[in-house]
Amino acid sequence: MEGFIEDLKLGIYQTFILDNNYQYFVRGIGVTLLVTAFALLIGLALGVLVGIIRSAHDQQPEKKKGIVLRVLNGICKVYLTVIRGTPTLVQLLIMWFVIWASARSTDENMIRCAILSFGINSGAYVAEIIRSGIMSIDRGQMEAGRSLGLNYTATMRHVIIPQAFKNVLPALGNELITLLKETSVVTVIGLKDLTKGAMLIQSKTYQAFVPYIAIAVIYLALVLVLSWILGKVERRLRQSDLR
Amino acid sequence: MIYVKGLKKTFGDMQVLSGVDMHIRPGEKVVIVGPSGSGKSTFLRCLNLLEQPTDGSIVFDGQEITAPGVDVNLIRRRMGMVFQHFNLFANLTVKKNIMLAPVQLKLKTKEEAEAEAMRLLKLVNLEEKADSYPAQLSGGQKQRIAIVRSLAMNPEVMLFDEPTSALDPEMVGEVLELMKRLADDGMTMVVVTHEMGFAREVGTRVVFMDEGVIKEENEPKEFFDHPKDPRLQDFLSKVL
Repeated sequence: MEGFIEDLKLGIYQTFILDNNYQYFVRGIGVTLLVTAFALLIGLALGVLVGIIRSAHDQQPEKKKGIVLRVLNGICKVYLTVIRGTPTLVQLLIMWFVIWASARSTDENMIRCAILSFGINSGAYVAEIIRSGIMSIDRGQMEAGRSLGLNYTATMRHVIIPQAFKNVLPALGNELITLLKETSVVTVIGLKDLTKGAMLIQSKTYQAFVPYIAIAVIYLALVLVLSWILGKVERRLRQSDLR
Repeated sequence: MIYVKGLKKTFGDMQVLSGVDMHIRPGEKVVIVGPSGSGKSTFLRCLNLLEQPTDGSIVFDGQEITAPGVDVNLIRRRMGMVFQHFNLFANLTVKKNIMLAPVQLKLKTKEEAEAEAMRLLKLVNLEEKADSYPAQLSGGQKQRIAIVRSLAMNPEVMLFDEPTSALDPEMVGEVLELMKRLADDGMTMVVVTHEMGFAREVGTRVVFMDEGVIKEENEPKEFFDHPKDPRLQDFLSKVL
């Protein structure tokens, strides 16, 4: 027991204090959050766009589907199939080593690549979440909007999307949490995120226990904070359901 | 005001409307009755093109609205529609439900629309609900607000699709009462309903639809007292 405590003390010292190693965690958290936040923005933008195109296509009667909508829907379907059918890790490797092959290995380049890769990946999942949200809204809502003379887009924007968004918020929150944790695979392209920080400390100090437990706790803490924020937003949006 | 000629509608293999002709004059209150599945709701929904007719034509105020290239949205502004399930926008307060279309379509400024919304709410004694959400209202309140939401567009015709069918019995009265007031103000109305009392009292013409066609139409007294069509006689014996 005493030996364990001594080891732990040494581990903590080497992991955090020696050579200012704690900096690896601080910078790592920064990179992880940066990649997550911007990937989320891209994912949301892409996902809302694709989700709307997909549901517009599915809700339109067969005869009224224009050629543009059909083509867009086809493109979206290919995108969803490819992205959801291949591992995130493989997508990242292709993005960095194939598509960005000529880019220099600077931190900025790697961060940009990671953001784009995760954004595109997340967009596919967000799209399906958004689509399920739109499809869940009673079609009477659309009919009421149209019967007043509002066009499809205006009704979508002011009536359907706000309700759909509220309904899918828990699922979107789940996607955000998944995204945050999944960014840990950026270590394979050498980007120094939180996970890479722990790996670097391990290779310097031969300590494994403290660094890995530490980042596990940090990831958990980040997720808890996110969940808390999401819970607040959800309660706010639920206002219109209160009786 | 509205001329309907040879209106047909099929859903897949199912023929719901098999040639309906009707002429609705300004100020008329046409009440459409009939057994479920007779096509009366579909007919009403064709009038403002929520359903696209398969065949036939509808002329509204001299304009053929079934012709290709017609701006449906402009037509719909002039035709109010009230639904069986109210369809109030669940994400908006009562006031904003009423204001949304006039403001978005730039027919009124926000201030004008708000003043109009409050005036309309006062008309139905619901001004204290202006900032409530639809989920906080009773069915009767929802339907009355749905009606004034349509009125906010100053429509020339109001279409009612079984407006009281989803209401608890004790709330039917308040909605019918509002519809009567609307009728007394001279609004042109087309009403699909099972309320025979309303048909008799408010209707200027009652139409019996069955199997996708109009089987009989007449002024209310004659319609109810001396029905000629055997299907109508049978129908009336069941509902009266």
